[in-house]
Amino acid sequence: MKAIPIPRVRTWLARLLPLAALVPLQSAWSAPASPPPASSDASTPLALRLSPSQYRQSILDIFGPSVSITGTFEPETRVQGLLAIGARQSNVSDSGLESYDDIARGIADQVVDQKHRATYVGCTPRDPKASDDACARSFFSRVGPLLYRRPLTPDEIEARVRAAAVASGDVHDFYGGLSLSLAEMLISPQFLFRYKMYEPDPAHPGGERLDAYSKASELSFFLWNTSPDQELLNAAATGAIQTPAGLEQQVNRLISSPRVTEGVRAFFGDMLGYSDFDTVAKDPSFFPRYTLNVKDESQEQTLRTIVDHLVTRHGDYRDLFTTPHTFLTRALAVLYGVPLVDPSDNGQPQRWIPYTYAPGDPRSGILSEASFTALFSPSGRTSPTGRGKALREYILCEKVPPPPGNVSFKFVEDTTNPQFKTARARLTAHRSEPMCAGCHKLTDPIGLALENFNSAGGYRTDENGVAIDATGEMNGHQFVGSVGLGNTVHDDPATTSCVARKAFAFETGYMPPGSDPQWQQIMQKFSASHYNFVELMRQIALSDLSYEPQGPAALTASN
Amino acid sequence: MSAVKASTALALVCGAGLCLAASSQARAETRGFVISWFATATDIPDYKVDCPLGRMDGQTEMNVRQLREIGYSQEQAVKIVADAGAQLGPDYRYRIDTNAQVKGKPASVFNYPDATADPNIETVTGPYAYGFDLGGKAASKFIDPETHQKIDNQLWRSVGCTESFHEAPPGKPYPEELSWNLMIDSAPAWTLQLSGKDLSHDGPVTITIDSATQHLERDANGNVLADYTYIVEPNSRSHNVLAGEIRDGVLTIKPKDIYLEGELPFYAEIALRGAHMRFKAEPNGTLVGYWGGYLNWRRFVYMYTARPANGADSIGLYHALKRFADSDPDPKTGQNRYISGTFRMEALPAYLARLDGTVIAPPVHNPGALQRVEPPHTDVKTVTN
Repeated sequence: MKAIPIPRVRTWLARLLPLAALVPLQSAWSAPASPPPASSDASTPLALRLSPSQYRQSILDIFGPSVSITGTFEPETRVQGLLAIGARQSNVSDSGLESYDDIARGIADQVVDQKHRATYVGCTPRDPKASDDACARSFFSRVGPLLYRRPLTPDEIEARVRAAAVASGDVHDFYGGLSLSLAEMLISPQFLFRYKMYEPDPAHPGGERLDAYSKASELSFFLWNTSPDQELLNAAATGAIQTPAGLEQQVNRLISSPRVTEGVRAFFGDMLGYSDFDTVAKDPSFFPRYTLNVKDESQEQTLRTIVDHLVTRHGDYRDLFTTPHTFLTRALAVLYGVPLVDPSDNGQPQRWIPYTYAPGDPRSGILSEASFTALFSPSGRTSPTGRGKALREYILCEKVPPPPGNVSFKFVEDTTNPQFKTARARLTAHRSEPMCAGCHKLTDPIGLALENFNSAGGYRTDENGVAIDATGEMNGHQFVGSVGLGNTVHDDPATTSCVARKAFAFETGYMPPGSDPQWQQIMQKFSASHYNFVELMRQIALSDLSYEPQGPAALTASN
Repeated sequence: MSAVKASTALALVCGAGLCLAASSQARAETRGFVISWFATATDIPDYKVDCPLGRMDGQTEMNVRQLREIGYSQEQAVKIVADAGAQLGPDYRYRIDTNAQVKGKPASVFNYPDATADPNIETVTGPYAYGFDLGGKAASKFIDPETHQKIDNQLWRSVGCTESFHEAPPGKPYPEELSWNLMIDSAPAWTLQLSGKDLSHDGPVTITIDSATQHLERDANGNVLADYTYIVEPNSRSHNVLAGEIRDGVLTIKPKDIYLEGELPFYAEIALRGAHMRFKAEPNGTLVGYWGGYLNWRRFVYMYTARPANGADSIGLYHALKRFADSDPDPKTGQNRYISGTFRMEALPAYLARLDGTVIAPPVHNPGALQRVEPPHTDVKTVTN
């Protein structure tokens, strides 16, 4: 396609608004409750903005892996420890819309470029320098439902066709017009947001249920972290997904696919706070082994460990905190101070090698890995408070109050004070201030057990020449080191209830009502399965509770 | 280094808890290293002492000299260089580079250096250079600033006044620095195993040098990472087993030929005849020391010829090295084919392993690991997929 000076989609789109009869633009993005043309008597829909990984995966699934996605996505919001809950409150800012615009243009241009058009467009215009409604209609009829995750109405398709025609006329290029019209779809709220639409529930007169396409999307994003495939959309179209047998068939299909690992990875990446790695930096003067590769690989290490344990081995979720089995690269092995033999040829990417911590090794379980110890540490020192707070909030679903506004951190942050050579000594001094003592009792005894791991996650035996005391305590249980902490977390009932609640919220966007019998049934089955996480996903996906409209109480609780 | 100094150094090392050996158990042990720094051994405490004539003034001086060689007067040459800046124009450079005369016709000076006049560059006349006593002539000896012994290092005499060699560690002579930094991220590393009954005490040791199957890795500062795991390439041409000893904290070897195959432009190979070595252990476990022996001077200068600019006076160096070569005379011409030389080396602690996954040499110390999980070298296997 020749280079054509094409304006930004938004600018160009503004000219077409009367023609295209589109939804008011800015209000659509700033108030994403604007519903698609679906059920007329539904409850107020929830709109959840796609996460960057959901966006990327959806595009890859619809257009193929050779389409590269470049650009910066709108920041996400974490609520109750999950971005998936925060997605419910996410809108698109002006600058965010510009970013989505750029990303959309990049994608659309690739879809119609010389390299891809034969595959992705699927038809050839009569004249490449002019509009061709039939070809454009064929294209949008095929990709439209995949992008919007529901059938497009005839008016919606015709709006796309007309938009492409006008743009093609402007730029004298069929593919240029098609690209602009496609880019407009990609910045539409219908693509950027996942709507939860409700409809009357025939099984419960007076009640409501998620409509079939919303249900298909919810299932797909929960289990595969991507838009529904054609088979799932078909199950929605026929209504099969609304029957117990049809739902079970789809859930089993999705869970038995290797792609369920994408859902597991997305969930734990969210639950463990990995979006915060974007801001993690370590002082290379002190932590030269913490390279950019190591930063990325530390997250991958834990996600691989999780997938291997939960999906491949069908292991007990609790054992994630004690398992000696993991995966390492040579670079991570250097951080951990262990040998790792990778027989890859020189110049090949480093491989992930299965690794088992030796008996007596100070590491076992995911809490001892750099993805946890480094993520919740400042650049140049450890933070037992931060690590303890993260464990309580991310792993146990407990709330730790924020520090008072007038608190002094003079003892904590000064690692050069000869009076307080260790983090334990500094925090002891800090807790002498009454306003600090209460909350630090919740966090510090947990985090101090991880003091053998420095800010970058490397092992150490002393701090400023003083041997580290790694004794810890949580909820009345005394222990030593990360191994003892892992055992304690393993045995804490909050560990399993927290992951279950968060998994439910990851699908639905809100925390489950704990007293609901359906929820209690899910928890009973989770327990009976020896805390098999994939089985938990299956039970959540099959439960009516996941598809009921959440009442004000649930929303309030989530907020 | 005197015996007193050497003892002091070892005591300091052990005092920091970083002796070569982690225990005093009298069992054989092998420790792994990877060569993390390698270059011609330079010694430039006082350039005016080493090169009192001050003739070698870098690129400017070389350009003026080379312009004069192609017929310009001193005044003309100075003006041309002043006008041209650091790099002469292509016309001048072409004439300089084809100033050799072969059968009456101009030819490349790099292809026919012997058909080019010797520019008689300034060479080192100062007293000091690093190295070893290789049995050379007394008149050409230097004094090693560390051991205070008389040593042979005609390589340094030849190159030491050239601007690109005015570097001291951690810097390297420019062409070597360029080659090293460009290539270590892809060229296979060189490994070094140190074996002995008890490396914390004086006694015999064995040094084994090999190629690795993998390249060096860098840390967050761009330096070479310690404690990485490298696979020793089996059956490589770079396999060298050297008998040595630790005495007063200094490790030396019995002279032996050394050959290392390289994939760096500057060090396509390291081939030393009758090589000597001298290393010490730094407090962090790094080995620092020197290799010396006789090397083929043509191969050395060809490495410079590959990069004729950047202040490296290829033709000047060619003739200087040829002139000062001090070993292995050609039976027909009498021209010595080898020259005494010394290289400086650093080797970082590393895990060394075989292709089958067996770790054969753990690092000498490992701040990231517990002693109890540091594997003995015979019984640890890493599962590979």
